[in-house]
Amino acid sequence: MKLLTHNLLSSHVRGVGPRGFPLRLQATEVRINPVEFNPDFVARMIPKVEWAALLEAADTLHLIEVPKEPIEGYEHDEEFLRKMHHILLEVEVLEGTLQCPESGRLFPISRGIPNMLLSDEETET
Amino acid sequence: MDHAAAQLEKQHVHDVYESTAPYFSDLQSKAWPRVRQFLQEQKPGSLIADIGCGTGKYLKVNSQVHTLGCDYCGPLVEIARSRGCEVMVCDNLNLPFRDRGFDAVISIGVIHHFSTKERRIRAIKEMARVLVPGGQLMIYVWAMEQKNRHFEKQDVLVPWDRALCSQLLSEPSQPGRKQPCGPPERSPPAHPPCSVGRCSMCLKGPWDSKRSHSVDCEPILAGTCCASISKAGEEENGFCNTWGKSFRSWFSSRSLDESTLRKQIESVRSLKNTEGWAGNTISTQPSGRSSLDLDHPETFPTGEQHLDEEVFVGTAQKRLEWLRAPAPRKHLNGDHTGGGKFPDSASTDENCVDADDLEEGNPFASKLWRRISAVSATDSHPGDDAVSGKDQGPRGLDAKAFMRYYHVFREGELCGLLEESVSELHVLSSGNDHGNWCVIAEKKQSGD
Repeated sequence: MKLLTHNLLSSHVRGVGPRGFPLRLQATEVRINPVEFNPDFVARMIPKVEWAALLEAADTLHLIEVPKEPIEGYEHDEEFLRKMHHILLEVEVLEGTLQCPESGRLFPISRGIPNMLLSDEETET
Repeated sequence: MDHAAAQLEKQHVHDVYESTAPYFSDLQSKAWPRVRQFLQEQKPGSLIADIGCGTGKYLKVNSQVHTLGCDYCGPLVEIARSRGCEVMVCDNLNLPFRDRGFDAVISIGVIHHFSTKERRIRAIKEMARVLVPGGQLMIYVWAMEQKNRHFEKQDVLVPWDRALCSQLLSEPSQPGRKQPCGPPERSPPAHPPCSVGRCSMCLKGPWDSKRSHSVDCEPILAGTCCASISKAGEEENGFCNTWGKSFRSWFSSRSLDESTLRKQIESVRSLKNTEGWAGNTISTQPSGRSSLDLDHPETFPTGEQHLDEEVFVGTAQKRLEWLRAPAPRKHLNGDHTGGGKFPDSASTDENCVDADDLEEGNPFASKLWRRISAVSATDSHPGDDAVSGKDQGPRGLDAKAFMRYYHVFREGELCGLLEESVSELHVLSSGNDHGNWCVIAEKKQSGD
Protein backbone atom coordinates (compact mmCIF):
# COMPACT_ATOMS: atom_id res chain seq x y z
CA MET A 1 0.00 0.00 0.00
CA LYS A 2 1.37 3.37 -1.02
CA LEU A 3 0.97 6.50 1.01
CA LEU A 4 -1.00 8.06 -1.80
CA THR A 5 -3.53 5.28 -1.32
CA HIS A 6 -3.55 5.74 2.42
CA ASN A 7 -4.34 9.37 1.81
CA LEU A 8 -7.63 8.39 0.20
CA LEU A 9 -8.73 5.82 2.74
CA SER A 10 -11.33 6.47 5.37
CA SER A 11 -13.11 4.28 7.86
CA HIS A 12 -16.68 3.39 7.01
CA VAL A 13 -17.56 1.81 10.29
CA ARG A 14 -21.15 2.60 11.15
CA GLY A 15 -21.70 6.04 12.55
CA VAL A 16 -18.17 7.24 12.09
CA GLY A 17 -18.60 9.44 9.04
CA PRO A 18 -15.89 11.99 8.34
CA ARG A 19 -14.25 11.27 11.69
CA GLY A 20 -12.99 8.08 10.12
CA PHE A 21 -10.28 9.96 8.31
CA PRO A 22 -7.40 9.56 8.32
CA LEU A 23 -6.74 6.00 9.31
CA ARG A 24 -3.93 5.51 11.74
CA LEU A 25 -1.19 3.63 10.07
CA GLN A 26 1.08 1.10 11.68
CA ALA A 27 3.60 -0.86 9.68
CA THR A 28 5.64 -3.89 10.51
CA GLU A 29 7.09 -4.29 7.07
CA VAL A 30 7.89 -1.53 4.64
CA ARG A 31 9.66 -1.65 1.32
CA ILE A 32 10.94 0.97 -1.03
CA ASN A 33 9.79 0.25 -4.52
CA PRO A 34 11.38 2.43 -7.19
CA VAL A 35 8.94 4.09 -9.52
CA GLU A 36 9.79 6.12 -12.56
CA PHE A 37 9.77 9.79 -11.72
CA ASN A 38 7.28 11.82 -13.68
CA PRO A 39 7.41 15.42 -12.47
CA ASP A 40 4.23 16.48 -14.26
CA PHE A 41 2.35 13.66 -12.74
CA VAL A 42 3.56 14.40 -9.26
CA ALA A 43 2.88 18.11 -9.64
CA ARG A 44 -0.71 17.37 -10.52
CA MET A 45 -1.10 15.05 -7.54
CA ILE A 46 0.00 17.66 -5.03
CA PRO A 47 -3.25 19.63 -4.88
CA LYS A 48 -5.19 16.43 -4.28
CA VAL A 49 -3.23 15.39 -1.24
CA GLU A 50 -4.63 15.78 2.25
CA TRP A 51 -1.44 17.05 3.71
CA ALA A 52 -2.03 16.52 7.41
CA ALA A 53 -2.90 12.90 6.83
CA LEU A 54 0.18 12.44 4.74
CA LEU A 55 2.43 13.94 7.39
CA GLU A 56 0.94 11.74 10.05
CA ALA A 57 1.48 8.60 8.00
CA ALA A 58 4.98 9.60 6.96
CA ASP A 59 5.79 10.25 10.57
CA THR A 60 4.63 6.80 11.63
CA LEU A 61 6.92 5.34 9.06
CA HIS A 62 9.77 7.51 10.25
CA LEU A 63 10.28 9.03 6.88
CA ILE A 64 12.68 11.91 6.79
CA GLU A 65 12.69 15.10 4.84
CA VAL A 66 8.99 15.27 4.41
CA PRO A 67 7.87 18.70 3.20
CA LYS A 68 5.40 20.19 5.66
CA GLU A 69 3.34 21.69 2.88
CA PRO A 70 3.47 22.46 -0.80
CA ILE A 71 5.99 25.21 -1.29
CA GLU A 72 5.50 28.18 -3.51
CA GLY A 73 6.21 27.28 -7.10
CA TYR A 74 6.37 23.59 -6.29
CA GLU A 75 5.38 22.72 -9.84
CA HIS A 76 8.83 23.57 -11.01
CA ASP A 77 10.80 22.58 -7.97
CA GLU A 78 12.35 19.28 -8.91
CA GLU A 79 13.78 18.58 -5.51
CA PHE A 80 10.42 19.04 -3.90
CA LEU A 81 8.71 16.97 -6.50
CA ARG A 82 11.21 14.16 -6.17
CA LYS A 83 10.69 14.03 -2.45
CA MET A 84 6.96 13.93 -2.86
CA HIS A 85 7.29 11.31 -5.54
CA HIS A 86 9.25 9.16 -3.17
CA ILE A 87 6.88 9.57 -0.27
CA LEU A 88 3.65 9.15 -2.17
CA LEU A 89 4.61 6.44 -4.62
CA GLU A 90 7.74 4.61 -3.64
CA VAL A 91 7.16 3.77 -0.02
CA GLU A 92 5.15 0.57 0.25
CA VAL A 93 3.63 -0.77 3.41
CA LEU A 94 3.62 -4.52 3.01
CA GLU A 95 2.44 -5.57 6.44
CA GLY A 96 0.68 -3.51 9.02
CA THR A 97 -2.64 -2.16 10.14
CA LEU A 98 -4.94 0.75 9.53
CA GLN A 99 -6.96 1.88 12.48
CA CYS A 100 -10.19 3.77 12.53
CA PRO A 101 -9.45 6.82 14.68
CA GLU A 102 -12.98 6.93 15.99
CA SER A 103 -13.93 3.32 16.63
CA GLY A 104 -10.50 1.77 16.98
CA ARG A 105 -11.38 -0.91 14.46
CA LEU A 106 -8.29 -2.38 12.83
CA PHE A 107 -7.99 -3.19 9.16
CA PRO A 108 -5.09 -5.40 8.14
CA ILE A 109 -2.56 -4.79 5.42
CA SER A 110 -1.10 -8.05 4.14
CA ARG A 111 1.27 -8.50 1.25
CA GLY A 112 0.74 -4.86 0.45
CA ILE A 113 -3.03 -5.21 0.25
CA PRO A 114 -5.30 -3.42 2.71
CA ASN A 115 -8.45 -5.32 3.53
CA MET A 116 -11.23 -2.92 4.31
CA LEU A 117 -14.12 -5.35 4.52
CA LEU A 118 -16.40 -5.01 7.46
CA SER A 119 -18.75 -7.53 8.87
CA ASP A 120 -22.45 -6.95 8.30
CA GLU A 121 -22.96 -5.67 11.80
CA GLU A 122 -20.33 -3.06 11.41
CA THR A 123 -21.42 -1.43 8.21
CA GLU A 124 -23.58 1.59 8.06
CA THR A 125 -27.17 0.99 7.15
CA MET B 1 -34.56 -8.53 2.06
CA ASP B 2 -31.15 -7.02 2.25
CA HIS B 3 -29.93 -10.02 4.19
CA ALA B 4 -31.37 -12.35 1.59
CA ALA B 5 -29.73 -10.30 -1.10
CA ALA B 6 -26.40 -10.46 0.69
CA GLN B 7 -26.76 -14.21 1.03
CA LEU B 8 -27.53 -14.68 -2.64
CA GLU B 9 -24.57 -12.56 -3.57
CA LYS B 10 -22.34 -14.39 -1.17
CA GLN B 11 -23.23 -17.72 -2.63
CA HIS B 12 -23.46 -16.76 -6.27
CA VAL B 13 -20.97 -13.99 -6.66
CA HIS B 14 -18.39 -13.79 -3.92
CA ASP B 15 -17.87 -17.47 -3.24
CA VAL B 16 -17.76 -18.23 -6.94
CA TYR B 17 -15.15 -15.61 -7.73
CA GLU B 18 -13.16 -16.69 -4.75
CA SER B 19 -13.23 -20.32 -5.78
CA THR B 20 -12.56 -19.69 -9.42
CA ALA B 21 -9.93 -17.01 -8.89
CA PRO B 22 -7.04 -19.42 -9.40
CA TYR B 23 -8.27 -19.99 -12.90
CA PHE B 24 -8.19 -16.32 -13.61
CA SER B 25 -4.63 -15.93 -12.83
CA ASP B 26 -3.35 -15.28 -16.23
CA LEU B 27 -6.69 -14.53 -17.53
CA GLN B 28 -7.10 -11.38 -19.43
CA SER B 29 -10.71 -11.02 -20.13
CA LYS B 30 -11.38 -8.57 -22.84
CA ALA B 31 -10.44 -5.00 -22.05
CA TRP B 32 -13.22 -3.04 -23.62
CA PRO B 33 -11.82 -0.42 -25.94
CA ARG B 34 -14.23 2.23 -24.82
CA VAL B 35 -13.17 1.73 -21.26
CA ARG B 36 -9.58 2.05 -22.26
CA GLN B 37 -10.47 5.17 -24.13
CA PHE B 38 -12.24 6.61 -21.13
CA LEU B 39 -9.19 5.98 -18.99
CA GLN B 40 -6.81 7.38 -21.54
CA GLU B 41 -8.86 10.53 -21.82
CA GLN B 42 -8.51 11.33 -18.15
CA LYS B 43 -6.19 14.22 -17.41
CA PRO B 44 -2.63 13.35 -16.49
CA GLY B 45 -2.27 13.26 -12.73
CA SER B 46 -5.83 12.07 -12.22
CA LEU B 47 -6.75 9.78 -9.37
CA ILE B 48 -8.93 6.98 -10.59
CA ALA B 49 -10.71 4.15 -8.83
CA ASP B 50 -11.59 0.87 -10.51
CA ILE B 51 -14.31 -0.53 -8.31
CA GLY B 52 -14.53 -4.23 -8.97
CA CYS B 53 -11.17 -4.39 -10.67
CA GLY B 54 -10.83 -8.16 -10.63
CA THR B 55 -7.35 -9.10 -11.74
CA GLY B 56 -6.63 -5.53 -12.66
CA LYS B 57 -6.84 -5.40 -16.40
CA TYR B 58 -7.60 -1.69 -16.46
CA LEU B 59 -5.20 -0.60 -13.80
CA LYS B 60 -2.24 0.02 -16.06
CA VAL B 61 -3.94 1.33 -19.14
CA ASN B 62 -2.83 4.88 -18.55
CA SER B 63 0.54 5.51 -17.01
CA GLN B 64 -0.20 9.21 -16.59
CA VAL B 65 -2.86 8.62 -13.99
CA HIS B 66 -2.89 6.86 -10.66
CA THR B 67 -5.43 4.07 -10.60
CA LEU B 68 -6.43 2.27 -7.47
CA GLY B 69 -8.10 -1.08 -7.92
CA CYS B 70 -10.58 -2.51 -5.46
CA ASP B 71 -12.42 -5.76 -5.39
CA TYR B 72 -14.42 -7.77 -2.90
CA CYS B 73 -12.58 -10.92 -3.89
CA GLY B 74 -9.28 -11.33 -2.08
CA PRO B 75 -7.80 -13.92 -4.43
CA LEU B 76 -8.46 -11.77 -7.48
CA VAL B 77 -6.90 -8.79 -5.76
CA GLU B 78 -3.84 -10.88 -4.94
CA ILE B 79 -3.49 -11.65 -8.60
CA ALA B 80 -3.69 -8.00 -9.52
CA ARG B 81 -1.15 -7.24 -6.85
CA SER B 82 1.22 -9.82 -8.23
CA ARG B 83 1.10 -7.90 -11.48
CA GLY B 84 2.32 -4.82 -9.70
CA CYS B 85 -0.96 -3.01 -9.28
CA GLU B 86 -2.01 -0.90 -6.33
CA VAL B 87 -5.08 -2.66 -5.03
CA MET B 88 -7.20 -3.36 -2.02
CA VAL B 89 -10.07 -5.46 -0.82
CA CYS B 90 -13.31 -3.68 -0.09
CA ASP B 91 -17.03 -3.59 -0.62
CA ASN B 92 -18.66 -1.49 -3.31
CA LEU B 93 -21.55 -0.86 -0.93
CA ASN B 94 -19.26 0.67 1.67
CA LEU B 95 -16.30 2.20 -0.04
CA PRO B 96 -13.56 2.99 2.43
CA PHE B 97 -12.71 6.30 0.83
CA ARG B 98 -13.12 9.83 1.88
CA ASP B 99 -15.59 11.93 -0.03
CA ARG B 100 -14.53 13.54 -3.28
CA GLY B 101 -11.14 11.91 -3.55
CA PHE B 102 -11.24 10.57 -7.09
CA ASP B 103 -11.25 12.32 -10.43
CA ALA B 104 -12.83 9.34 -12.12
CA VAL B 105 -14.31 5.98 -11.23
CA ILE B 106 -14.97 2.94 -13.38
CA SER B 107 -17.34 0.11 -12.64
CA ILE B 108 -17.02 -2.47 -15.37
CA GLY B 109 -19.21 -5.51 -15.12
CA VAL B 110 -19.84 -5.11 -11.44
CA ILE B 111 -23.17 -3.74 -10.43
CA HIS B 112 -25.00 -6.39 -12.39
CA HIS B 113 -23.95 -8.71 -9.59
CA PHE B 114 -26.10 -6.91 -7.05
CA SER B 115 -29.33 -8.68 -6.57
CA THR B 116 -31.66 -5.87 -5.67
CA LYS B 117 -32.33 -2.51 -7.20
CA GLU B 118 -31.70 -0.89 -3.87
CA ARG B 119 -28.23 -2.38 -3.63
CA ARG B 120 -27.41 -1.40 -7.18
CA ILE B 121 -28.40 2.15 -6.35
CA ARG B 122 -26.34 2.09 -3.19
CA ALA B 123 -23.33 0.93 -5.12
CA ILE B 124 -23.70 3.76 -7.62
CA LYS B 125 -24.25 6.34 -4.89
CA GLU B 126 -21.13 5.20 -3.11
CA MET B 127 -19.14 5.68 -6.27
CA ALA B 128 -20.67 9.10 -6.78
CA ARG B 129 -19.77 10.02 -3.21
CA VAL B 130 -16.08 9.44 -3.71
CA LEU B 131 -15.96 11.42 -6.93
CA VAL B 132 -14.87 15.03 -7.06
CA PRO B 133 -17.53 17.35 -8.41
CA GLY B 134 -17.12 17.31 -12.17
CA GLY B 135 -15.54 13.89 -11.98
CA GLN B 136 -16.81 11.12 -14.20
CA LEU B 137 -18.11 7.66 -13.57
CA MET B 138 -18.24 4.95 -16.21
CA ILE B 139 -20.47 1.97 -15.65
CA TYR B 140 -20.72 -1.18 -17.74
CA VAL B 141 -23.39 -3.76 -17.09
CA TRP B 142 -24.41 -6.81 -18.99
CA ALA B 143 -27.33 -6.25 -21.31
CA MET B 144 -30.43 -8.34 -21.36
CA GLU B 145 -30.72 -7.68 -25.05
CA GLN B 146 -28.07 -9.60 -26.89
CA LYS B 147 -27.54 -9.87 -30.61
CA ASN B 148 -27.40 -13.59 -31.01
CA ARG B 149 -28.91 -14.85 -27.87
CA HIS B 150 -31.68 -13.99 -25.59
CA PHE B 151 -32.25 -13.75 -21.89
CA GLU B 152 -35.82 -14.22 -20.98
CA LYS B 153 -35.35 -13.09 -17.45
CA GLN B 154 -33.35 -10.36 -15.88
CA ASP B 155 -32.18 -12.31 -12.89
CA VAL B 156 -30.07 -15.18 -13.97
CA LEU B 157 -27.50 -17.61 -12.77
CA VAL B 158 -24.75 -18.55 -15.12
CA PRO B 159 -22.72 -21.65 -14.50
CA TRP B 160 -19.02 -22.03 -14.88
CA ASP B 161 -17.75 -25.51 -15.28
CA ARG B 162 -14.09 -26.14 -14.89
CA ALA B 163 -14.30 -29.67 -16.19
CA LEU B 164 -15.77 -28.52 -19.43
CA CYS B 165 -12.77 -26.37 -19.85
CA SER B 166 -10.38 -29.24 -19.71
CA GLN B 167 -12.54 -31.32 -21.96
CA LEU B 168 -12.66 -28.73 -24.59
CA LEU B 169 -8.95 -28.41 -24.55
CA SER B 170 -8.42 -32.06 -25.04
CA GLU B 171 -10.59 -32.13 -28.13
CA PRO B 172 -8.46 -33.39 -30.96
CA SER B 173 -10.82 -31.99 -33.49
CA GLN B 174 -10.53 -28.46 -32.38
CA PRO B 175 -8.28 -26.35 -34.48
CA GLY B 176 -5.34 -24.72 -32.94
CA ARG B 177 -5.30 -26.83 -29.87
CA LYS B 178 -2.44 -29.01 -30.82
CA GLN B 179 0.13 -26.51 -31.70
CA PRO B 180 3.26 -27.88 -30.28
CA CYS B 181 5.22 -25.58 -28.23
CA GLY B 182 5.82 -26.78 -24.82
CA PRO B 183 5.74 -30.35 -23.68
CA PRO B 184 3.17 -32.15 -25.76
CA GLU B 185 -0.13 -32.63 -24.09
CA ARG B 186 -1.46 -36.08 -23.64
CA SER B 187 -4.98 -34.87 -23.41
CA PRO B 188 -6.62 -36.75 -20.67
CA PRO B 189 -10.17 -35.61 -20.80
CA ALA B 190 -10.22 -34.16 -17.53
CA HIS B 191 -10.03 -32.80 -14.49
CA PRO B 192 -6.94 -32.03 -12.61
CA PRO B 193 -6.16 -28.45 -13.23
CA CYS B 194 -2.60 -29.24 -14.13
CA SER B 195 -3.52 -31.11 -17.21
CA VAL B 196 -5.48 -28.21 -18.37
CA GLY B 197 -2.59 -26.01 -17.64
CA ARG B 198 -0.25 -27.96 -19.78
CA CYS B 199 -2.86 -28.04 -22.40
CA SER B 200 -2.97 -24.34 -22.54
CA MET B 201 0.63 -24.24 -23.54
CA CYS B 202 -0.36 -25.88 -26.75
CA LEU B 203 -2.29 -22.81 -27.51
CA LYS B 204 0.73 -20.70 -27.90
CA GLY B 205 0.59 -20.64 -31.63
CA PRO B 206 -1.66 -17.89 -32.79
CA TRP B 207 -2.46 -16.75 -29.34
CA ASP B 208 -0.86 -14.23 -27.20
CA SER B 209 2.34 -16.01 -26.42
CA LYS B 210 3.20 -13.69 -23.63
CA ARG B 211 0.09 -14.65 -21.84
CA SER B 212 0.52 -18.32 -22.13
CA HIS B 213 4.13 -18.17 -21.12
CA SER B 214 3.24 -16.86 -17.78
CA VAL B 215 1.07 -19.85 -17.27
CA ASP B 216 4.05 -22.09 -17.22
CA CYS B 217 4.59 -21.82 -13.57
CA GLU B 218 1.02 -21.95 -12.60
CA PRO B 219 -1.43 -24.72 -12.19
CA ILE B 220 -3.99 -22.72 -13.90
CA LEU B 221 -5.74 -23.14 -16.83
CA ALA B 222 -9.26 -23.16 -17.42
CA GLY B 223 -8.97 -19.49 -17.21
CA THR B 224 -5.95 -19.27 -19.35
CA CYS B 225 -7.14 -21.41 -22.13
CA CYS B 226 -10.27 -19.47 -22.10
CA ALA B 227 -8.42 -16.26 -22.60
CA SER B 228 -6.36 -17.75 -25.31
CA ILE B 229 -9.30 -19.11 -27.12
CA SER B 230 -11.15 -15.93 -26.94
CA LYS B 231 -8.52 -14.17 -28.91
CA ALA B 232 -9.38 -16.11 -31.97
CA GLY B 233 -12.93 -15.15 -32.29
CA GLU B 234 -14.03 -11.86 -31.02
CA GLU B 235 -17.68 -11.56 -30.66
CA GLU B 236 -20.20 -9.40 -29.09
CA ASN B 237 -19.27 -10.32 -25.61
CA GLY B 238 -15.66 -10.75 -26.50
CA PHE B 239 -14.75 -13.07 -23.86
CA CYS B 240 -14.45 -16.73 -24.29
CA ASN B 241 -16.09 -16.67 -27.58
CA THR B 242 -15.14 -19.71 -29.39
CA TRP B 243 -15.62 -21.47 -26.24
CA GLY B 244 -18.49 -19.50 -25.07
CA LYS B 245 -20.29 -20.47 -28.19
CA SER B 246 -20.48 -24.00 -26.99
CA PHE B 247 -21.49 -23.11 -23.54
CA ARG B 248 -24.33 -20.79 -23.31
CA SER B 249 -26.56 -21.91 -20.62
CA TRP B 250 -28.04 -19.75 -18.03
CA PHE B 251 -30.54 -20.40 -15.37
CA SER B 252 -33.27 -18.43 -13.87
CA SER B 253 -32.61 -16.90 -10.56
CA ARG B 254 -35.04 -15.66 -8.10
CA SER B 255 -35.37 -11.95 -8.30
CA LEU B 256 -35.18 -10.28 -4.97
CA ASP B 257 -36.75 -7.09 -6.11
CA GLU B 258 -40.10 -6.68 -4.45
CA SER B 259 -42.34 -6.49 -7.44
CA THR B 260 -40.97 -9.58 -9.05
CA LEU B 261 -41.03 -11.37 -5.75
CA ARG B 262 -44.72 -10.88 -5.43
CA LYS B 263 -45.31 -12.41 -8.82
CA GLN B 264 -43.06 -15.28 -8.00
CA ILE B 265 -44.87 -16.05 -4.82
CA GLU B 266 -48.07 -16.22 -6.78
CA SER B 267 -46.73 -18.56 -9.37
CA VAL B 268 -45.07 -20.75 -6.83
CA ARG B 269 -48.25 -21.23 -4.91
CA SER B 270 -49.78 -22.97 -7.85
CA LEU B 271 -47.09 -25.60 -8.06
CA LYS B 272 -46.62 -28.69 -6.03
CA ASN B 273 -42.95 -28.81 -5.30
CA THR B 274 -42.52 -25.69 -3.36
CA GLU B 275 -39.68 -25.73 -0.95
CA GLY B 276 -38.08 -23.20 1.27
CA TRP B 277 -36.60 -20.22 -0.40
CA ALA B 278 -33.13 -20.84 0.80
CA GLY B 279 -32.91 -24.15 -0.90
CA ASN B 280 -34.47 -23.13 -4.12
CA THR B 281 -33.39 -19.82 -5.26
CA ILE B 282 -32.47 -21.37 -8.49
CA SER B 283 -34.55 -22.84 -11.17
CA THR B 284 -32.49 -24.59 -13.70
CA GLN B 285 -32.72 -25.55 -17.24
CA PRO B 286 -31.33 -28.88 -18.12
CA SER B 287 -28.30 -28.28 -20.11
CA GLY B 288 -25.00 -29.86 -20.68
CA ARG B 289 -23.42 -26.63 -21.43
CA SER B 290 -22.02 -24.14 -19.14
CA SER B 291 -20.96 -20.71 -19.90
CA LEU B 292 -17.36 -20.20 -19.27
CA ASP B 293 -17.61 -16.59 -19.92
CA LEU B 294 -16.05 -15.09 -16.94
CA ASP B 295 -17.13 -11.58 -17.38
CA HIS B 296 -19.81 -11.54 -19.97
CA PRO B 297 -21.50 -14.84 -20.22
CA GLU B 298 -23.13 -16.13 -23.28
CA THR B 299 -26.65 -17.29 -23.16
CA PHE B 300 -29.27 -19.18 -25.02
CA PRO B 301 -33.00 -19.01 -24.87
CA THR B 302 -34.82 -20.90 -22.22
CA GLY B 303 -38.44 -21.22 -21.72
CA GLU B 304 -40.21 -19.45 -19.02
CA GLN B 305 -39.55 -21.15 -15.79
CA HIS B 306 -41.29 -21.81 -12.62
CA LEU B 307 -39.02 -20.52 -9.99
CA ASP B 308 -38.23 -22.15 -6.73
CA GLU B 309 -39.00 -25.58 -7.96
CA GLU B 310 -36.13 -27.31 -9.46
CA VAL B 311 -32.60 -27.66 -8.46
CA PHE B 312 -29.63 -28.90 -10.32
CA VAL B 313 -29.93 -31.29 -13.08
CA GLY B 314 -28.81 -34.77 -12.28
CA THR B 315 -27.17 -36.65 -15.01
CA ALA B 316 -26.52 -36.68 -18.67
CA GLN B 317 -28.95 -39.51 -18.89
CA LYS B 318 -31.58 -37.33 -17.47
CA ARG B 319 -30.77 -34.74 -20.00
CA LEU B 320 -31.31 -37.10 -22.83
CA GLU B 321 -34.67 -37.90 -21.46
CA TRP B 322 -35.68 -34.34 -21.41
CA LEU B 323 -34.62 -33.90 -24.89
CA ARG B 324 -36.82 -36.71 -26.02
CA ALA B 325 -39.76 -35.35 -24.17
CA PRO B 326 -42.37 -33.76 -26.31
CA ALA B 327 -42.02 -30.07 -26.35
CA PRO B 328 -44.80 -28.99 -24.13
CA ARG B 329 -44.42 -25.28 -23.93
CA LYS B 330 -45.81 -22.43 -25.83
CA HIS B 331 -42.34 -20.96 -25.97
CA LEU B 332 -41.05 -23.53 -28.30
CA ASN B 333 -40.36 -21.93 -31.58
CA GLY B 334 -38.47 -24.49 -33.49
CA ASP B 335 -39.90 -27.53 -35.06
CA HIS B 336 -40.54 -30.58 -32.99
CA THR B 337 -39.18 -33.19 -35.24
CA GLY B 338 -35.82 -34.68 -35.14
CA GLY B 339 -35.96 -35.24 -31.48
CA GLY B 340 -34.29 -38.53 -31.92
CA LYS B 341 -31.26 -36.99 -33.47
CA PHE B 342 -30.25 -35.02 -30.55
CA PRO B 343 -29.51 -37.76 -28.07
CA ASP B 344 -26.90 -39.09 -30.40
CA SER B 345 -25.05 -35.91 -30.57
CA ALA B 346 -25.77 -35.31 -26.99
CA SER B 347 -23.85 -38.27 -25.81
CA THR B 348 -20.20 -38.41 -26.48
CA ASP B 349 -20.14 -35.90 -29.21
CA GLU B 350 -21.92 -33.29 -27.36
CA ASN B 351 -18.92 -31.27 -26.81
CA CYS B 352 -18.21 -31.46 -30.45
CA VAL B 353 -21.24 -29.55 -31.38
CA ASP B 354 -19.13 -26.86 -32.67
CA ALA B 355 -19.17 -23.38 -31.71
CA ASP B 356 -19.39 -22.81 -35.38
CA ASP B 357 -22.57 -24.71 -35.76
CA LEU B 358 -24.27 -22.62 -33.25
CA GLU B 359 -22.91 -19.39 -34.24
CA GLU B 360 -23.22 -19.72 -37.95
CA GLY B 361 -26.85 -20.37 -37.53
CA ASN B 362 -26.86 -24.04 -38.17
CA PRO B 363 -30.59 -24.51 -38.24
CA PHE B 364 -30.49 -27.83 -36.55
CA ALA B 365 -28.35 -26.54 -33.78
CA SER B 366 -30.51 -23.59 -33.14
CA LYS B 367 -33.63 -25.67 -33.04
CA LEU B 368 -31.80 -27.89 -30.70
CA TRP B 369 -31.29 -25.09 -28.31
CA ARG B 370 -34.85 -24.05 -28.44
CA ARG B 371 -35.98 -27.55 -27.79
CA ILE B 372 -33.82 -27.81 -24.76
CA SER B 373 -35.12 -24.59 -23.55
CA ALA B 374 -38.67 -25.64 -23.88
CA VAL B 375 -38.38 -28.74 -21.88
CA SER B 376 -40.44 -28.61 -18.83
CA ALA B 377 -38.59 -27.65 -15.77
CA THR B 378 -40.38 -30.27 -13.81
CA ASP B 379 -38.42 -32.90 -15.63
CA SER B 380 -35.32 -32.01 -13.80
CA HIS B 381 -34.01 -34.19 -11.11
CA PRO B 382 -34.24 -32.69 -7.70
CA GLY B 383 -31.44 -32.73 -5.27
CA ASP B 384 -28.47 -30.62 -5.87
CA ASP B 385 -25.99 -33.27 -5.00
CA ALA B 386 -27.28 -35.36 -7.81
CA VAL B 387 -24.95 -33.46 -9.98
CA SER B 388 -22.26 -35.90 -10.84
CA GLY B 389 -19.34 -35.03 -12.91
CA LYS B 390 -17.10 -37.16 -14.85
CA ASP B 391 -18.70 -40.44 -15.48
CA GLN B 392 -21.80 -39.09 -16.90
CA GLY B 393 -20.42 -38.47 -20.28
CA PRO B 394 -18.25 -35.67 -21.43
CA ARG B 395 -20.74 -33.10 -20.62
CA GLY B 396 -21.90 -34.24 -17.26
CA LEU B 397 -22.62 -31.17 -15.31
CA ASP B 398 -19.67 -30.93 -13.08
CA ALA B 399 -20.37 -30.95 -9.42
CA LYS B 400 -18.08 -28.02 -9.25
CA ALA B 401 -20.11 -25.91 -11.61
CA PHE B 402 -20.27 -22.49 -10.09
CA MET B 403 -23.28 -20.39 -10.70
CA ARG B 404 -22.85 -16.67 -10.85
CA TYR B 405 -25.73 -14.38 -10.29
CA TYR B 406 -26.43 -11.54 -12.71
CA HIS B 407 -29.14 -9.00 -13.01
CA VAL B 408 -29.01 -8.23 -16.70
CA PHE B 409 -30.10 -4.75 -17.60
CA ARG B 410 -32.72 -3.74 -20.09
CA GLU B 411 -32.09 -0.92 -22.47
CA GLY B 412 -32.54 2.33 -20.65
CA GLU B 413 -32.64 0.72 -17.24
CA LEU B 414 -29.25 1.91 -16.13
CA CYS B 415 -29.87 5.47 -17.27
CA GLY B 416 -33.25 5.36 -15.68
CA LEU B 417 -31.76 4.20 -12.44
CA LEU B 418 -29.33 7.08 -12.39
CA GLU B 419 -31.89 9.69 -13.32
CA GLU B 420 -34.42 8.45 -10.85
CA SER B 421 -32.30 7.59 -7.87
CA VAL B 422 -28.88 9.16 -8.09
CA SER B 423 -29.50 12.84 -8.43
CA GLU B 424 -25.91 13.73 -7.72
CA LEU B 425 -24.98 12.31 -11.11
CA HIS B 426 -25.79 13.65 -14.52
CA VAL B 427 -25.73 11.25 -17.44
CA LEU B 428 -23.40 12.44 -20.17
CA SER B 429 -23.65 9.57 -22.57
CA SER B 430 -24.86 6.05 -22.85
CA GLY B 431 -24.82 3.25 -25.33
CA ASN B 432 -24.25 -0.37 -26.01
CA ASP B 433 -20.83 -1.85 -26.25
CA HIS B 434 -20.44 -5.50 -27.13
CA GLY B 435 -23.55 -6.60 -25.33
CA ASN B 436 -23.14 -4.26 -22.39
CA TRP B 437 -25.09 -1.17 -21.50
CA CYS B 438 -22.69 1.53 -20.65
CA VAL B 439 -23.10 4.94 -19.17
CA ILE B 440 -20.78 7.82 -18.49
CA ALA B 441 -22.07 10.19 -15.85
CA GLU B 442 -20.65 13.25 -14.22
CA LYS B 443 -20.89 14.30 -10.63
CA LYS B 444 -22.78 17.52 -10.41
CA GLN B 445 -21.02 20.53 -9.05
CA SER B 446 -23.61 21.55 -6.57
CA GLY B 447 -24.62 19.63 -3.52
CA ASP B 448 -23.49 16.21 -2.31
